[in-house]
Amino acid sequence: MLRREFLYGVNGGLGALAFHSMLKAEEVDGPLVPKVAHFPKTKAKRCIFLYMAGGPSHIDTFDPKPKLKDLHLKKFQRQSKFLSAMGSGERYYVQSPFDFIKAGESGIEMCDQWQHLSSIADELCVYRGCQAESINHPTANYHMNTGNRFGGDPAIGSWVTYGLGSENQNLPGYVVLPEVAYPQGGAANWSNGYLPPHYQGTTLRAKGSPILDLHPPKGVTREGQRNHLNLLGGLNALHAERHIQHNDLAARMESYELAYRMQMEVPGILDIDKENQSTQEDYGLNDKRTEEFGRRLLLARRLIERGVRFVQVYTAGWDSHDYIKRSHAERIRSVDKPIASLLKDLKERGLLDETLVVWGGEFGRTPDNGKRGGGERLGRDHNKNAMALWMAGGGVNKGSVIGGTDEIGDKAVDVVHPIRDLHVTMLKLMGLDDNKLTYFHGGRFKQLSQTGGEVIDQLIG
Amino acid sequence: MVRLPLLTIIFAFLGILKAQSSEVSSELLFAHKIQPLFKAKCLTCHGEAPNNKIKGDLDMRLLGGLIRGGESGEPSIVVGDASKSPLYLAVTRVHENDWSAMPPKENDRLDGVQIGYIKDWINGGAVWPSDKRIAKILDSPDPWDTGKGIRVKTSGGIDPVWTNRKYEEDKLWAYQGLRDIKVPGELHPIDYLIEKSLPKGLPISPQADPGTLIRRVTFGLTGLPPTPIEMKKFKVSWEKDSVKAWSELINRLLDSPHYGEQMARHWLDVVRYADSAGFSNDYPRPHAWRYRDYVVRSFNNDKPYDRFVKEQIAGDEIDENSPENLIATGFLRMGPWEHTAMSVKAVTRQQYLDDVVNSVGVTFLANELKCAKCHDHKFDPIPTKDYYRMQAIFAPVSFIERQLPWQKYENKKGIRKDQERYQKLIKSDGIKSIKTLPEEDQPIIDFDLESERAGHSKVKNKRRQQLNYQLKRAEPVVFSVSNGKPDKIHILKGGSIESPESEVEPGFLSLFNGSEKSSSVTKNANGRRKELADWIASKDNPLTARVIVNRVWQWHFGQALAGNPNNFGGTGKSPTHPKLLDWLAQRFIKEGWSFKEIHRIILSSAAYQRSTVPLDPQALAKLDSLGTSYSVFKPRRLTAEELRDSMLLVSGELNPAIGGIPSHPEINEEVAMQPRHIMGSVGPAYQADPLPSERNRRTLYAERIRTLADPMLEVFNKPGPDISCEQRENATIAPQAFTMLNSPIIRSRALAFAARLEKERPNNLTEQIKLAFQLAYQRLPNSNELKLCLENLEVFKKQHQTNIQEKVEVPKYVVRQMVEEMTGLSFWWVEDLDVYAGGNYVPDLKPWDVGHGTLAMGDLCLVLFNSNEFVYVY
Repeated sequence: MLRREFLYGVNGGLGALAFHSMLKAEEVDGPLVPKVAHFPKTKAKRCIFLYMAGGPSHIDTFDPKPKLKDLHLKKFQRQSKFLSAMGSGERYYVQSPFDFIKAGESGIEMCDQWQHLSSIADELCVYRGCQAESINHPTANYHMNTGNRFGGDPAIGSWVTYGLGSENQNLPGYVVLPEVAYPQGGAANWSNGYLPPHYQGTTLRAKGSPILDLHPPKGVTREGQRNHLNLLGGLNALHAERHIQHNDLAARMESYELAYRMQMEVPGILDIDKENQSTQEDYGLNDKRTEEFGRRLLLARRLIERGVRFVQVYTAGWDSHDYIKRSHAERIRSVDKPIASLLKDLKERGLLDETLVVWGGEFGRTPDNGKRGGGERLGRDHNKNAMALWMAGGGVNKGSVIGGTDEIGDKAVDVVHPIRDLHVTMLKLMGLDDNKLTYFHGGRFKQLSQTGGEVIDQLIG
Repeated sequence: MVRLPLLTIIFAFLGILKAQSSEVSSELLFAHKIQPLFKAKCLTCHGEAPNNKIKGDLDMRLLGGLIRGGESGEPSIVVGDASKSPLYLAVTRVHENDWSAMPPKENDRLDGVQIGYIKDWINGGAVWPSDKRIAKILDSPDPWDTGKGIRVKTSGGIDPVWTNRKYEEDKLWAYQGLRDIKVPGELHPIDYLIEKSLPKGLPISPQADPGTLIRRVTFGLTGLPPTPIEMKKFKVSWEKDSVKAWSELINRLLDSPHYGEQMARHWLDVVRYADSAGFSNDYPRPHAWRYRDYVVRSFNNDKPYDRFVKEQIAGDEIDENSPENLIATGFLRMGPWEHTAMSVKAVTRQQYLDDVVNSVGVTFLANELKCAKCHDHKFDPIPTKDYYRMQAIFAPVSFIERQLPWQKYENKKGIRKDQERYQKLIKSDGIKSIKTLPEEDQPIIDFDLESERAGHSKVKNKRRQQLNYQLKRAEPVVFSVSNGKPDKIHILKGGSIESPESEVEPGFLSLFNGSEKSSSVTKNANGRRKELADWIASKDNPLTARVIVNRVWQWHFGQALAGNPNNFGGTGKSPTHPKLLDWLAQRFIKEGWSFKEIHRIILSSAAYQRSTVPLDPQALAKLDSLGTSYSVFKPRRLTAEELRDSMLLVSGELNPAIGGIPSHPEINEEVAMQPRHIMGSVGPAYQADPLPSERNRRTLYAERIRTLADPMLEVFNKPGPDISCEQRENATIAPQAFTMLNSPIIRSRALAFAARLEKERPNNLTEQIKLAFQLAYQRLPNSNELKLCLENLEVFKKQHQTNIQEKVEVPKYVVRQMVEEMTGLSFWWVEDLDVYAGGNYVPDLKPWDVGHGTLAMGDLCLVLFNSNEFVYVY
């Protein structure tokens, strides 16, 4: 039996395949084998999704609202049975503490805290028209990641990997680089849901073993492990002789050999010390405030270079209910330089055209704040009706700002789309048609958008 | 039927010559076929989308819109010529280069007959009569009606077209009454019905050998392997009288308390059992375990299923003084639920009602009722009105934590100890500054005191909240519901609480009785659920018995007769053996809804006892490509829980106690210490129970925290607890190998297994290997295997002589980091690990506790745990 490479995910039916492969020895099959896109001409082949958990404020990042200067600290009351406790009661408006600049030739507006990103602004397509449906972190996270507010459904990374397969059969197709602490809602944010488990987001961990139990405990050498596998192979072979008809056995034996090889390969990919000093510096590895995120962005680039299909990088702390000046400035600082360097690095390597980069969080923030603890602490609450996000790379309408919010940033009013349309657009940019990317489960063809969505044409270049 | 196509051809030929007759036909066609088709397939985007959005600028609500066309600038129809009409070209889906396929979803594609209607309508002049005229036309019979298809009377759809629509008969199979299936007396009815639909020429495999059978059925009924003694006894009685031996074995297993555990595991997959509430805070549900144990008890006591159903839906209404009834209503609160300052009260309530109605539908009726929330059900005869009438049944439900003394049959072990632990914890600070650590252990950082102060105060607050929930566990409380004053329930347009429409009265699905009136329940706050439960758990409800026997069949055969056990609607898989399903359902009812009886019947069939070896593999591949013939028995991999429980049983570590407060097995240490964001803080670190006997319980009892899955179980396809699982996945993925080979936890099982072998067969490697095979595989090794093992033991031993086992201590504290939202800077804290630091923690057997010989035998045991023979059941 000839097989060029082993599969990260060996499906249960591989044994059956073994029979067929006697006829077609060259064909490799498996759940992660690269597949033809629905729109084969699309540019983006891979995606890096930069997830700013907590809900970054559009008003203080990419959606300036000068009107708020006039309203600053003006008080008002709000009550409605469709409001949360957080959104009710005495409120006051809050102006943005930041000045805004027009960056690049395209003049994209962003706050002056984006010192590095502004230098590559012409690569961005900023979108101000997206609306979420939930103002709770976990449900909004689930929604942004899986299209379903209640979790349990496959994440967009799982769908993309399901649709396109992966270019490296020795690595997972969908990798998640979380912070040490998982975001609200936990691992269900990168769940494969009802898709087969090969499409689950595999977390490569910032600390500790990159994949759980990747290495044997201390006291077991690689040679020792080889011996274990030899005995295992021997016993399994004798067993298989008694069960020649049982197709799953071969696949399971192979999964052990693959695991054994992954133990060797994965640590090499993670070893970012191999990158030269100036690259490390560009990603902010020499600065305590940017190191943590920069390290993961550098890893993200190494992963997509090696054919991983979808990488999601999390960073939290954007939930600035109070003192937004300090907290958002600090958050922006921690991601600004690494992100700008990632975009430049991808561009220099000729990868930006093939890589869709998405920046965003689960919702935006309100133009006003509630009184908490008796004082005005100049922050913002959650806002499902407006948010800002941007895309770069792979086929996006770069150098543009699409959609807009009302004059105080309370609500999107122009090119307004729900999250499902954003998802459908991301799929389209990746060459996938949401209506065709379906999976039969529980008696129904299911899809990321749940019941279908609309491509936001303006975001596509 | 024959007449019409002929006419069509003529019309097509005549083209734009609008003969009078073709116009008449086009008009009729529009009223009967085209308008319903547009409504069902097109208008959602082209005319009736929210916010008056019109996709592609094509408005299909009126003829003018079609003639004007969409953004292409071309008219969508050329009256009289379908072949030039983009509308027609798009629905054929073969002109994609010019006109994208419509409707866009493959799911919604038109069939050949529907495409023909559109063609004929356009060619016939695309006549679009007035609404009045349409109403008149619809008074006369549909000339295209082939007589096929069935109308189902219901309480009525939002849309009259929906109300009158027809269903293909075979899509309604589950809603039809149970049929009496006649079987000849001398044959086992299951075998008779299976063999009757067996493909011709496909031979049936013979009965499996007794060793295979006892392993198969012991796993099936208890989730554990047989012991060597059980195996030996069974083989002896099998020699004497195989039929008698088999039925005695079944009876013994059905009497085992582990039977209820295994059945509960299946049931809890469906009802989404967890010990925490999920979402932002994932607060503990300190008394959910009483429901879990109620399920175990119900199966062990062979509680009739109709009663089991009624108790879970309406236990409190049936008898508020029955402890079991109250505990059972925990079912109504099993879904994830949370209300915080960031949620809208009305939304939270609506989410609950949506969740409970769907859960009842899926669990007992195999119908995803939520499909009818925003519109009448697309495929099944369930109008939106029924969905909200079902909600009205649950409108009085309010959550209540009732006082209910511990019952004598409940396992109260550990409750006091648990209480003492949390009392101690709540008095202690638990959170310390990193400045209290020795300097070398402090993370090197820009320490910011303001961030620490603000952060610690929130973290402590959150810790107190969590601990207060944990403290409640000691109170004899039941996680249950009661009735309050019901809110009025309205149909919500598009499912949105901001668009209430007409009010509805409480009632159940109307499709069986045909009207709203005949499916309504009391309007009193009390008794709505009881009436619902009576309707569900009735022998006259064709779904209930079918749904549960279908699940039971899957528990034994690994696949259900109707392939989507949670969806018996038109989109679910039809039963492969409909008569068998009906026969089983009837028999189940006849036996008083007894699970144990239906198990006896199924397990006594030849179909269950067949070998996994096909007599003619080629014939099998050719004649039974879907694997539904039951001519061979299908091997299966152990479930996650069975795998862990088997290792514990074989290693001699399993504490087989039944029930009680959740246990805390060892889980991967990184995951245990992994911080999980909860609202404003990080969830508490996971710590295993201090004593092996406490943590080495059956996996069923391991605490299920929604945001913290045990990775070992997860990697072996234990489903998440947020959506109902109708069937487990069993795919093989590489991380399973990492866990089974490298996890220190699995290695501890292997070492304990080795130590057991050495204790029971001291100083005799051959005997130890023999015992290992007997325990793990329930058979002796053959000479090849024995030789292989002995040789490898030598290799392993040599290896260990050159290796030094470094002792790894359990952590006594964990350092947490978060970004303080008020400052945007990081802060840190030290979280005490009270169990590990408390001095009472007794670790499992570890590599540094034993000598080279045991280590080598441990390696051998680890290989056995990893082997295919251990993880597959034949």
